[in-house]
Order: sequence, then structure tokens, then C-alpha cells
Amino acid sequence: MSDQEKDKEKAVAATTTATPDATSAPVFGPATKIPTDEEASQYFYGEALVGFDPSEITGSLIVIEGMDGSGRSTQIALLQEWLESEGFAVQTSGLRRSNLVGRDIDELLAKNAVTRLTLSLMYATDFFDQVEHRILPALRSGTVVLADRFIFTLIARGVVRGINRDYISGLYAMALRPHLTFWLNVRPETAFAREFKKAQAISYWEAGRDMSLSHDLYWSFIRYQTMIKREFEVMAKRHNFLELDGEASVSSVNKQLRQRIAEQLGIRATKYTPSAALAHLWR
Amino acid sequence: MPTNVTETQDPQQKAAPRPEAAKSTLPQPGRPVPSRAYPGALIVVEGTDGSGKSTQLYLLKRWLEIGGYRLHFTEWNSSPLVKSATRRGKQRRLLTPTTFSLLHAADFADRCERQIMPLLQGDYLVLADRYIYTAFARDASRGCPPRWLRNLYRFAPIPDITFYFRAPLDVAVHRILSGRPKLKYYEAGMDLGLSYDRSESFRLFQARILEEYDKMVDTDNFVVLDGTIPVNKLQKQMRDIVASKIDLKRFAPRAAEAE
Repeated sequence: MSDQEKDKEKAVAATTTATPDATSAPVFGPATKIPTDEEASQYFYGEALVGFDPSEITGSLIVIEGMDGSGRSTQIALLQEWLESEGFAVQTSGLRRSNLVGRDIDELLAKNAVTRLTLSLMYATDFFDQVEHRILPALRSGTVVLADRFIFTLIARGVVRGINRDYISGLYAMALRPHLTFWLNVRPETAFAREFKKAQAISYWEAGRDMSLSHDLYWSFIRYQTMIKREFEVMAKRHNFLELDGEASVSSVNKQLRQRIAEQLGIRATKYTPSAALAHLWR
Repeated sequence: MPTNVTETQDPQQKAAPRPEAAKSTLPQPGRPVPSRAYPGALIVVEGTDGSGKSTQLYLLKRWLEIGGYRLHFTEWNSSPLVKSATRRGKQRRLLTPTTFSLLHAADFADRCERQIMPLLQGDYLVLADRYIYTAFARDASRGCPPRWLRNLYRFAPIPDITFYFRAPLDVAVHRILSGRPKLKYYEAGMDLGLSYDRSESFRLFQARILEEYDKMVDTDNFVVLDGTIPVNKLQKQMRDIVASKIDLKRFAPRAAEAE
């Protein structure tokens, strides 16, 4: 089938919601309604995402934030299993996972041939591609979305590199407001130990080496993550983060997460022991 | 949302203030990333497809090159860094108004940080075929919130001259449609669902873009030129304006040394 024929098919499908004449409203996928300002600030951080009707959301967006080594991915694996055992459909998302630019960012990072502003904008592209192609479709179908990091990490990384805070927050004005945002707060020293144990090394970017903070890898990591942590402290108040002590045991952090999520989703029993496949995470 | 850019700008910037764009309440281009003032100059051409802007900028470039001036020419959407992602997005039609806009901003940021800003700081005359106003016109036509767009490009240096080549819709569309057999999907604005006929969709999309450009004439200090008059006459006007607004002597050090 030629491109043109495909276009025609698409357009014909679109005629069920709008007639393709000069005066008709633009058709962006299924949504044609333009959200009001009130809806825009209820569902987004200020601006409504183009062509999206917020009333279609039936799922829940749950965000887990925290620095490298704070235990995010462990907790998300456990939460996914728990929610699925409770009968909820779960979708996960995370940085650099978009089909559009996920791999391009990996390449840029590997080559280290990119400036901070370009990198921030590539991350923003990656973020919104996932919002539009992964998160929103899931939320429309009543799925629970567990997001491994969100705009807050991206904002913090930009700000510590000297990008204006208003500028970078403004980029994410069309980001969806999560139903719950958890912050697993750990000391950089703890995070360093955990990360080092995981890979026997610390990556260039984790240590913020691009910022020339120290030639010593350990001190570079500590200084960089401390700066990030300070940005999180600022955002925690503004955006109602639910702060958890990431130094506590996996099972204790998981219990607190389950309690709050159960409340959100209307789950009565919050008892959970991981299956054999995940038992190794339960320390 | 920032409404006042002056607080983010370096206080030690140029003594002579840039032309004010006070009529607009939208955030204006500026500097979210701290940077110093620069001695170079930036000349930009804007206009719809088929308005004649690229021909005119080419002729201006030739004039300056032949005169031995220190210059650099840059095109919209040309950073190798982001090219593969843009191509993939277009081929597979993954792009939405938001990601289309962000990807082009990333492309522009790369060129801005690695070419435009360093060259302006290195005292070059920079000529840009399309600039941030292309994004404002095109992405607003796709439905992106204007305030968000203005913020997105706040890092861009404000041009010394922005030429806006204005041609009536029918003239511009005819120039494109008569010369090019097939319009690409995003180029024709097919993603907006305005019409399933590509040529018709292109015309409707261009009409919206023209409307958006016209809105910026006053707020962004466009120098409006009539894209329908003969090429050489138009070029004469353009050269006269450049010569009157920019101290070209500063960009011709070799000629000065030779004398």
C-alpha cells in the first residue's frame, strides 16, 4: 500500500469524528476536545497537552523518584508483582525508554558529544514520546502506570547544570500531574555503596563527571548527588512528594508504598510476600 | 511560567539595548543559560515555503562572501546529532505536535550552542535560513500552546535583523506545488487531519502558518519584504537594509589589513 493510500484510510477513519473540510477542527488521534484552563492545571503543570482529553483518564499514575541507588527499580519490580496479584494491569515507564529517541540519547551519552541544553531537550522529547505513546494510552485503559523517575529528575539535572529553573520547568508544563509521587530519599554515601556493589563501577554520568566537580570519582559522585538532592528538597515541598526513608529495609519501604497505593486504588488487604522469582530482592 | 526575561539575562550584557519587543506579553527569546554578551551579528530570514527567502539569503551570502566578510551560514533542521531521530520519527510517523516541536528545539539547541553562539562571540556575521520564528509559526499551527513555545526557545539570541518574506498564499503555494511533485507527510501538515488530499492539506497548513507569521510582525520586529517583486530588486532592498543596520566594516578585517 502506498503512503498516500494509507493516509486516505486514516483520513476516512477520521471522518467518523470530524469532517475533513476547511472549517473542521483538527483531528489529533481520537481526542478533539480542547481542555479548559482549569483542566489544564488540574491534570497538567500549567499547559494542556495538544489534542488530549483529560476526562478519559481512568488509570493511576504513580511516580517513584530518587537518586541512583535509592532502590527505585527494586521497589517497582515488587510493586508490579503485588498489583498484578491484586488484579491490576500495570505499565512501567522510565527515562530513555521511548521508541522515538531512547537509543539516540544512549548514543549521545556514550559519545559525550552533546551540550547540556540539547541533552535536556532530548530527554524532554523522550519523556513526551512516552507520555503520548505509552503512559496516556495505558491511563485511558484503566492501567496503573509505575514511573521509574519522572520530570523531577530531569528538572534537577538541568538546574544543577546551570539551566534556568523557570525555563526547564516550563518545558514540562504539559507533563501530566501524577496521582502519587514518592521520593526515596537516601544519603549520597549510601547510594554510592549500593551502586558500586551493583556494577563494581560508577558511570561517568552518575558521578556528574561532565560538571568537573572533582577529579576524584567518589567526591564527584557525592557532590553531584548532593546538588541533585538539594533540588529535590526544593521540589518536594512544591509538588507534595511523599518522602520515604530510602535507607530503611526493602520490605519496610515496600510496606509503606503499598499502604499509600492501596489507599489510592481502594485495595483493602495490603499483605504481600514476593514470589520465588523476586525473593532475592526482599532483604 | 516566566513572563519577565530580564531577570534571567546577564546584567553585564551589551550597553546598547536590543530593539524592544514590549508589545508582546509572551516570553521573548533570551538566555536561560548564562552567557556573556557577544560582538557578532545575526541576520535571519523567515517566511512560508515558496516565499523566496532562501534564494534571497543565498544572494545576500554571495554578496558578503565576495566582499570578503567573515560570515557563517546556518540552516534550520540541520544538526547531524538529531538528524537520525528526526528522520526516524518522520518515516514511522511517530511524531506528535509536542515531540515534533521538542525534537526541532533539540536540533536548534545543538546548533545554537555549538555554532551560532560561539560564532557570535567570535565576532562573526551569522546568516540563518529560518530561525525560531519558523517553530513558533509551524508549531502553533499544530496546536502547541504559544506560551510554552516561547519558553522553549528562550535560549536563542535575538536577531539583529529578521527579514520576513511575505508572499500571498496562492503565489507561495503555486511556487511549491508547480515545482515539487510529492509533498512529504509532515511538510503537508497531514498530521493535522485538515484534508486527506495532500496538496489541499498543504494549502490549509500554509494558510495557518502565514497567519501565525503575520501575528509576529510587530511583536518580533520583522522587516517585511514583498516576496512577489523581481528577485534582483528585492535583493537590492535587502542589501540596503543590511548595510544601514549593521556595521559591516567590522566583519571585513582582511580587507582592512590589506589596505
